[in-house]
Amino acid sequence: MIFIIGIFVYLSFNNVLSKLRSIEIIDDVNIALLEMRKAEKNYFLYRDANALKELAKLGEERYEIIQVSKSYVVPILNKSGRKNYDRLLDILKEYLSLANNAIKTKEVPRDFEAKLRTMGQDLTSVSELLLKQERENVSRTINNNVLMLITSLGVILVIQLILWQYFFSLIIQELTVMERMIKMVSEGRFHEVAVKPILPHNEIEIAIKAISDMARKLEKREDDILQAGKLASLGVLISGVAHELGNPLNNISLMAQTYLSVYDMLGDEEKKNFMGDIYNQTERIRKIVENLLDFSRQKKQELQECDLKEIVRVSLSLVANHLKLAKVKQHVAIPENLPPVQVDASQIEQVLVNLFINAIQAMPEGGDLDVNGSYDPQSANLILEIRDTGIGIQKDYLPNIFDPFFTTKSTKGTGLGLSVSYGIIRQHHGDISVESEEGQGTRFIIKLPAMKK
Amino acid sequence: MDQTQEENMSPDKLRIMVLDDEPIVCKRLKPALEKLGYEVDTFTQSPEAMHQIQQTSYDIIITDLKMKEIDGMQFLTEAKKRHPGTEVIVITGFATMETAKQSFQKGVFDFIAKPFKLSEIQEVVNRAAAKIRGPAA
Ligand SMILES: Nc1ncnc2c1ncn2[C@@H]1O[C@H](COP(=O)(O)OP(=O)(O)OP(=O)(O)O)[C@@H](O)[C@H]1O
Ligand SMILES: [Mg+2]
Repeated sequence: MIFIIGIFVYLSFNNVLSKLRSIEIIDDVNIALLEMRKAEKNYFLYRDANALKELAKLGEERYEIIQVSKSYVVPILNKSGRKNYDRLLDILKEYLSLANNAIKTKEVPRDFEAKLRTMGQDLTSVSELLLKQERENVSRTINNNVLMLITSLGVILVIQLILWQYFFSLIIQELTVMERMIKMVSEGRFHEVAVKPILPHNEIEIAIKAISDMARKLEKREDDILQAGKLASLGVLISGVAHELGNPLNNISLMAQTYLSVYDMLGDEEKKNFMGDIYNQTERIRKIVENLLDFSRQKKQELQECDLKEIVRVSLSLVANHLKLAKVKQHVAIPENLPPVQVDASQIEQVLVNLFINAIQAMPEGGDLDVNGSYDPQSANLILEIRDTGIGIQKDYLPNIFDPFFTTKSTKGTGLGLSVSYGIIRQHHGDISVESEEGQGTRFIIKLPAMKK
Repeated sequence: MDQTQEENMSPDKLRIMVLDDEPIVCKRLKPALEKLGYEVDTFTQSPEAMHQIQQTSYDIIITDLKMKEIDGMQFLTEAKKRHPGTEVIVITGFATMETAKQSFQKGVFDFIAKPFKLSEIQEVVNRAAAKIRGPAA
């Protein structure tokens, strides 16, 4: 833009310069013609042949000058200027032929003087007109140029402002994106931090990329830590497992020893009881081992677009019998049009079944099980709330209930249900938390990110 | 075996408390020890057992180490405080055996690892009984 204006200024400056040059020439012509008219006056004063010859000679010279300058001046002049210039030549030619004729014939026609004078006057007036016009032209051109310059500067200013405004708003948008990304990172929602920059190829893109990279690395780190945490707790876990397995093993051992020593004295019914007890103990071991595998295994998730309502329905159907036996009434309130989630449905079902069974076990006298679903547009999370009216959790137990092997159910629980559930929800980039009031009931809240469209 | 016979004859039977939150352990230990001529009370709830030792004294206490409400160590300390003459036998999982031995240098008659043999526990109980009766005999 500036470049174009520069060229324009340069061209019009050149134009003005050459016009000034033509004015100079026309001015010269003007002066030369005035000189010639002095000779004309001389002739009128003395009326002799010499003066006439002098005049013709000067005129001849002037004609030469004007003829030669024509090629230079004509391209610069405008149409009326060119016409006037040609007229100047025509009149001068006629003027000269008039004079030369008089010299040749040595005879002065009657109206010679008057004709010569009129033509001479014409010559000066045309050449003065030419000069005046050119002067006006130049000043007009300069005025135009100045106006043009001012206008284009104004236009440049306005365009600049608009561009600034645009870039500014883009930059603010980018910064907002960055702010959102940083917030996601700080909240540990690493997987969501894959955002395309609005303006490609600039410093902000680099920054946004860096944040994305950081988020990805942090996510990987968190997985590592989770896995390392599992390994670290493996020591605790192994002694826990040993103890957990030790009890049923010991029981089986005791049953078998007794059975062998008193076999002869046992009736069929008693023998059946013994075997039943032994079988129950092996079941206990099976459950521990199963849960343990769930806990340690980094199972490949099979993520699919799922409807949370459907997952809840399936999970409830899995525990329908337990609910009936325990006289627990279920109340499900989940809106139809919730956004879908990207999850491994069987894993989420496992979580819900764990929570439902815990709730049922907390309500030995029966009660209510509420399952409420909702969507929080601000965090883009689906929220599932599972509430029971059971015995609640003692305050000082609350920090421990997600720990592996933490149970208050002695031989009836492995204490792995909630720790497995916690692992699953975290793997889904969600969150699970608990609120409880002893004697009133317990509320588990699960947050899962809604699927991005 | 001779000793067993003697004790069976004895009018003042030794009293044993068994405390383990596994009901099967209680159920199986009780007859196995009664057969040897001891009077046996079993508990699966440690608070109840705690309550009981405030009322009466036992010659021998057999307790599990890891229990829900009150853990074995706490129980043992309390029992010893009340009746220093009581002999305590600790049952523990094999994994915690070493730690258990380290933390109870004093005061514990013996350790038995789960899973245990009934004969093993009978043998340890008899040794404890012999120690109790020892000076008198
Ligand atoms: N809805 C609930 N109401 C009251 N207490 C609960 C509830 N859910 C969990 N708890 C407490 O948290 C503990 C740990 O639960 P978790 O599901 O991990 O193990 P568990 O239920 O004891 O054993 P398992 O799940 O193997 O049957 C429970 O023992 C119980 O004390
Ligand atoms: Mg559970």
